[in-house]
Amino acid sequence: MAATAGTPTLAADLEAGRRKAEPCKSCHGPDGNATLPGTPSIAGQPTFFTHWQLIKYRDGRRKDPQMSPFAASLSDADMADLAAYYAAQRPLPRPATTGPVKVAAGRELARQHLCVSCHRPGLTGHEQVPRLAGQDLTYLVKMLRAFKAQTAGDLDGTMTTAAQPLSEEDIENLAHFMATLPPSP
Amino acid sequence: MPRIIPTAVVVVLTSVFALVPYVQGQQAPPPTWKQGQPASMADSPLAPVAQPPAPKAPGEMPVDKIKVPAGFKVSLWAHGINNARVMTWGDKGTMFVSSRVAGNVYAIQDTGATREVKVIAKGLNLPNGVAFKNGTLYIAEVSRITKMVGIEDKLDSPPAMEVVYDILPRDLPHGWKYLAFGPDGKLYFNIGAPCNICIPPDTHANISRVNPDGTGFEYVAHGVRNSVGFDWHPETKDLYFTTHGRDWLGEDVPSDRFDVAQKKGLHFGFPYCHQGDILDPEFGKGRSCGEFAPPLIKTGPHVAGNGVQFYTGSMFPPEYKNRIFLAQRGSWNRTEKTGYKVMMVTLRAGDVPKYEVFAEGWLQGGQPWGRPVYTQLMKDGSLLIADDYAGAIYRVTYQR
Repeated sequence: MAATAGTPTLAADLEAGRRKAEPCKSCHGPDGNATLPGTPSIAGQPTFFTHWQLIKYRDGRRKDPQMSPFAASLSDADMADLAAYYAAQRPLPRPATTGPVKVAAGRELARQHLCVSCHRPGLTGHEQVPRLAGQDLTYLVKMLRAFKAQTAGDLDGTMTTAAQPLSEEDIENLAHFMATLPPSP
Repeated sequence: MPRIIPTAVVVVLTSVFALVPYVQGQQAPPPTWKQGQPASMADSPLAPVAQPPAPKAPGEMPVDKIKVPAGFKVSLWAHGINNARVMTWGDKGTMFVSSRVAGNVYAIQDTGATREVKVIAKGLNLPNGVAFKNGTLYIAEVSRITKMVGIEDKLDSPPAMEVVYDILPRDLPHGWKYLAFGPDGKLYFNIGAPCNICIPPDTHANISRVNPDGTGFEYVAHGVRNSVGFDWHPETKDLYFTTHGRDWLGEDVPSDRFDVAQKKGLHFGFPYCHQGDILDPEFGKGRSCGEFAPPLIKTGPHVAGNGVQFYTGSMFPPEYKNRIFLAQRGSWNRTEKTGYKVMMVTLRAGDVPKYEVFAEGWLQGGQPWGRPVYTQLMKDGSLLIADDYAGAIYRVTYQR
């Protein structure tokens, strides 16, 4: 019995993840808390979420000028280690200039669109579903637009379907609301 | 000229969905899995089991916990196949394996002692369906069926995917397909309901077929919520299929179904009647279950029956001839998990079918370590079971 395909394992190595995260630091920050607008913080994201995103970048379902070439050379074990390392980091809030009117409208939209049903109360995420709370405002807008445009490389279609009714104003309001939530429960 | 698409495609969905009943400022439809949840259960912790992003290593799979009848033995046949789903054999002995959310199609070459796994297509749109005929592999994604001609000779540089049929609905909920050749040489597949419970468009909630050249599309069975597994009786040639029942009607209702379609055009009840005898509280009003084809077997609530496999091999005892294996991926919409088994059906003339457990043990302490999802026979008559949760394939053998 010796099937190949990388002989991957779920038993990830945190220390290896820390070493392998070296090239990620310039954009995502030393511990996964990014400061560049438009770049997501990945500290504290669920392991399944980060690992699936890396797979999607590697197989071309998700595209980004920085991430696609980086993910192209990752093994399954690299992905597991990186996902485990970032999941173990403490997420910090991103500085954002949010408007109270937009935040209030976004809160109501999040209720209407049932975001908590997958992203959990507080929008802190779990398993394959990302934390949105305290995420970078610009990034949130970018991703919601991409889901609406059906170019975001959805895992199973849930977000692509959910984003279809959103107007540009809705997207902005939702992002303002999500960016104000505390990233840790 | 056939239209050619690159093997690794980035899926761009280009059209509207069947169901976007939304008015700005009003309550939006919930995600599919939450549709139909009563308000009283809004805080229910029940949610679909998350698909792990990586397959398990051999040491992480307690294969010895899988129980089978006396004389049978289970071993790990292949691993490292992320999200392994449908298995189909090539003419020259290559095993092709689909996936769903992993977006890959794999080829496995069995060298006897080892199995080598190759990814032959990636980045596809829920490519659950694979079927093989005359040197050609057919792949069903959400809205199209494509083919790779002569693939078995080109596993290291797979040929382009040529479109067979690409005007299927683009809805992602229940949009993934089972695909198989019927005894009539046509390609059969499901078009699932784009919801948990709804009045589906006329184009959805059915089993359909098309000629392998893309002509002659027609509906075969109606009122089928989502069937992702079927097979044909080796003698009568009737179509037998599993169907997943709706969620959020209760812990123990409705039962999933195992059905037979002895002719084309029957209606199997969705969304009006569930399990043959329960009218839907919302959509069943004014209807009667007597209008619809009854299930052959109520297979149990939330068990999620996928693969259907008539046993036509010679390794198992003689009474196994034409018995049916049903792979049940297992429940999420139930407090105590159920399914996660391979069941066995014995059809009996003039009597109800016998329905019993063949293999179980993927649930340990109420939690799954694997999910049996499809089966396939080996040439020697042993039974392969694909597990999409562990990314592995097991082999069941029998020795007197």
